[in-house]
Amino acid sequence: MNAPTKTTGPTAPTSDTPVVSPGARRLGLSRGLALRGVVIAAVVLAAGMAVPYIVLDRFYISMLFDGLVLALLALSVGFLARHLGLISLGHTAFYGGAAYLVGISVTQWGWSPLMAALTGLVGGTVLALVMALLVVRSSGMGFLMLTLALGQALYQLSIQRVAIPYTGAFDGLQISFDADATFLGLSVAQMMNGALFWPVVWTALVLSALGLWLVGRSRFGTVLEGIRENEERMRFSGFNTYWPRVLAFTISGAVASVGGVLFALNAAYVSPDVLSFLKAGDALIAAIVGGLGVLLGPILGALLYIVAQSQFNQSGNLYLYTGLALILVLMFLPGGILGSISSIRKRLARRSAKENSP
Amino acid sequence: MTLFQGTGVTVRYGAVKALTDVDITLEPGVVHGVIGPNGAGKSTFIDALSGRTRMTSGTVLLEGEDITNRPVGWRRHHGVSRSFQRTSVFNSMTVRTQLEMVAWRNDEPDLDGLMATLGLEPVLDQVCNEIAYGTQRSVDLAMALIGSPRVVLLDEPCAGLVADESVRMLQHVRDLCKDRGVAALLVEHDVDGVFRTCDRITVLNLGTVLASGEPAEIRANPDVVRAYLGSAA
Repeated sequence: MNAPTKTTGPTAPTSDTPVVSPGARRLGLSRGLALRGVVIAAVVLAAGMAVPYIVLDRFYISMLFDGLVLALLALSVGFLARHLGLISLGHTAFYGGAAYLVGISVTQWGWSPLMAALTGLVGGTVLALVMALLVVRSSGMGFLMLTLALGQALYQLSIQRVAIPYTGAFDGLQISFDADATFLGLSVAQMMNGALFWPVVWTALVLSALGLWLVGRSRFGTVLEGIRENEERMRFSGFNTYWPRVLAFTISGAVASVGGVLFALNAAYVSPDVLSFLKAGDALIAAIVGGLGVLLGPILGALLYIVAQSQFNQSGNLYLYTGLALILVLMFLPGGILGSISSIRKRLARRSAKENSP
Repeated sequence: MTLFQGTGVTVRYGAVKALTDVDITLEPGVVHGVIGPNGAGKSTFIDALSGRTRMTSGTVLLEGEDITNRPVGWRRHHGVSRSFQRTSVFNSMTVRTQLEMVAWRNDEPDLDGLMATLGLEPVLDQVCNEIAYGTQRSVDLAMALIGSPRVVLLDEPCAGLVADESVRMLQHVRDLCKDRGVAALLVEHDVDGVFRTCDRITVLNLGTVLASGEPAEIRANPDVVRAYLGSAA
């Protein structure tokens, strides 16, 4: 019996190539694949630098800028959903926590923007690590509630009377940098200008996406997938299933922190909004609309979300239209926009493979 | 020294005694079958020995070392592996990816050979939930055998298989156990299969050992015949 190899996707080997090559280990990231990813990221990085020269309107560029910041948050939420199958409503804690840390270290301790940025990043990441130690064992609804509780706890903390000298509570925290302070060669005024700060945020976003892609494609990513699929079998196969989840959660929290830091530097103002439930909802909706199952889905979703919000807002019925749009996407594109595109492509490829083989 | 030993294995769920004082010894290259009617405690027994269920009392020894309180990951690294009654595979991964993943963690020198023995080559690049159920059971077994564990605890590897698949599966188990010198514990519903496959048999009934010995002794044991085998034997 000589059955032809069934082709399952566009990248599956043709029936001529031997399926088993002795000794071949394809698990994890091959050097060629990693290199291809890096090259693509470099091209995208370079191309994106042109955006401020194309979008000249100040309103639109700052809107896109907000989209990039939201994209970082949505990217971190999407990473957790994709690799651990967990939905977090608490990533605002790392995003907002990092933003507040930037503000506090500038206003209270008089640190330079760069030092403040590093403090925010490290602080947000450490918070994510501590949180991870506590919550990654829970799943589904428990995880959702625990992360929500963390986000809300930090929100409440920020508006306490004792916190007013640090956070300004509902008044928010105006970050007054030194007049001659610079961040990566940018003056304070340049930092607050979306077009001029664009390269920094774009670079951060592309590098974060590349980093998360490399993690997902590595052996570590495969282990995460195994844990998501069947945690018990992983343990009985000799894998530790706790620390990989902690690490993945921490990585995700670090990306959210990057978003928070860049937001604070650009806005020079932090209010409890950055810790709010609505912010967590924004990121989650953006990630779902773009596609949780695809790396770039949350980024596309965030940009669309920001643009759509500014359109919806003109009518004064922002959340009504947001809700309607979300319902439409979930009904007709259940995998999100990018997720649906890739599943349609797979289906077409399978159909054409079936037609080609007798 | 005995390779793997469970002594006085007792598991209680509240007032319910699932297992009382069950002993077993496993030796290299010997397939040890465990049979018994429904509710006899067969699956609980394998769960207790593998660390999935906490024992109320009793000890598990590996080469004389007490491993009763060792986590399952530790046991796997030290050569005690198990399969599951309800197929436990990684549904959305390809067969190749999941086997390579487990092989990477457990240092399997001859994964290709193992995959060939179990007839998995044709489905290597298919996603696990798209392959036939019987093949999924083979993937499950393959994962338990990767890394040449010294002790393999198999929980009804033939559950849900049709008759000829069942025969083939048990043949694989016996061959792999003999070739690799593995000590195997085989919990199985299919009594004929167990008598055909195993070198020693323990019969459980209501959570206690009814009889233990060579297949011929078990078949002749009047208690076993009365309680379990009935006229079938």
